[in-house]
Amino acid sequence: MKHFLYLNWQSARQALVKILRQPFGSLLTLLMLSIALALPLSLYLTVSSIQEWAGRLTATPQITLFMEQSAEEADLAAVSSTLTKHPRIQSYSFVGKKQALSDLEKRNGLPGLSDGLTDNPLPDAFVVTPKTLEPHELEMLQKELSGLPMVETAQFDARWAKRLYGMVEMGKQLTWFLGAALGIALVLVTHNAVRMQILARRDEIEVAKLIGAPDSFIRRPFMYHAMWQGLLAGLAAWGLTSWLVITANPAIHEFAQLYNEAVQLRGLSPVELLVVLAISALLAMLGARLASDHHLRQIQPR
Amino acid sequence: MQRMIQFDQVTKRYPGGNEALKNLSFTIDTGEMAFLAGHSGAGKSTLLKLVAGIERASSGSVIVSGQNLSKLRSSQIPYVRQHIGMVFQDHKLLFDRSVFDNVMLPLDIIGFDRRDAARRVRAALDKVGLLSKEKSMPIRLSGGEQQRLCIARAVVHRPSLLLADEPSANLDRAYALDIMELFKSFHQVGVTVVISAHDETLMEDYGRRIIRLKEGQFAA
Repeated sequence: MKHFLYLNWQSARQALVKILRQPFGSLLTLLMLSIALALPLSLYLTVSSIQEWAGRLTATPQITLFMEQSAEEADLAAVSSTLTKHPRIQSYSFVGKKQALSDLEKRNGLPGLSDGLTDNPLPDAFVVTPKTLEPHELEMLQKELSGLPMVETAQFDARWAKRLYGMVEMGKQLTWFLGAALGIALVLVTHNAVRMQILARRDEIEVAKLIGAPDSFIRRPFMYHAMWQGLLAGLAAWGLTSWLVITANPAIHEFAQLYNEAVQLRGLSPVELLVVLAISALLAMLGARLASDHHLRQIQPR
Repeated sequence: MQRMIQFDQVTKRYPGGNEALKNLSFTIDTGEMAFLAGHSGAGKSTLLKLVAGIERASSGSVIVSGQNLSKLRSSQIPYVRQHIGMVFQDHKLLFDRSVFDNVMLPLDIIGFDRRDAARRVRAALDKVGLLSKEKSMPIRLSGGEQQRLCIARAVVHRPSLLLADEPSANLDRAYALDIMELFKSFHQVGVTVVISAHDETLMEDYGRRIIRLKEGQFAA
């Protein structure tokens, strides 16, 4: 076991030394890999920055329940207990008709407005904060709440929230699509790189096979080569996106200021960076594995 | 006496219909030293390739130190080869690495401890008289030295079976005798040795069994 680890450590080190010794040979592959990674990453960062900003903007969409004028204390208590127990409601607040009227007076600078009215025309209201942000679910909730006894209407301005949500959703889909397509490209690029290496070292592989090397022994240096390439490409892609964030942010900030908004393109978090490195290393190793499985079989003896 | 190699009605047909071995049965005991004789094309190389699992028999069974090679999966064949030392007519050396590293390769494959391995490599090089050239590149060695390097690589992991395919084919007689003496010394420490050659005069001095092949069958 100790020896097995030692052998792997040796292969890993030798593979890295080989890459560092011929930086220009590996540079082209590395560049291709890192651009393939940087594209979906930048899109991901853009979308998640927009989402972050949108989340701050809407804070949380609220549904307002207006009660009928004839609603009594008991009806209010019934609605209030339903809202308390509802699994998809995070919180709610009650705005009574008297409070609503005094708010109106204050806000519009019309003190004494209520004195002129014989009856308070404003209804009691509940302001509900749902747990979900998803438009379809919000709509369902709105319908459900408007069906409660003595509730006149449940108001919710869904249209613009829906549009924003749709856009963010589309961006997410695009990120997934680009990520998957360029992930496949990453596998293919390493596949090709390893194929070339195997063909270049044909004699060596043949001799190793003749004197009893199992496929795992022959494959090992290629796997480590791919792993390092994946990791380096991941780091380079991180560098590219960081550069994008740093150079683009002042312009974005200036543009957003025109609309009195604070929008910022964010960089990768440490956890995200680790995930990106792991994925790119794994995809590169997958490419190496596929290439070696295919091409080692073609070298005699089998 | 245990059997190292056992052929039971072995036939090897290459794609295209050429029958290299025809219904061959024989055994070689553990610790024996045997010669394979015959003209080129008689089937000597094919026979050795079957023993090493480089080729598979078309029919019949090849049993090497108790393992029926026809029944092994191809992923298990490498582990059989790790117990065999092979000397090739064309040496099959790696020219991008030193003499020392060439001999190190089999130990790397088996997963030998690095420090013990270096000692083993030097012992093997000493045995074939190349210790002073351990840092040289194989391309700078003479033909005879390259053959001896190939032998050092074949024995460094102390295999129980040593196969040599025409080891002295391209060497002058003095060199060839040298190499035969080397094989004899391995045989004396218990290694089973099978050597093929087309020049029988070299074998006859040793008084060992000679398996004569002609067109894939035993010659009369």
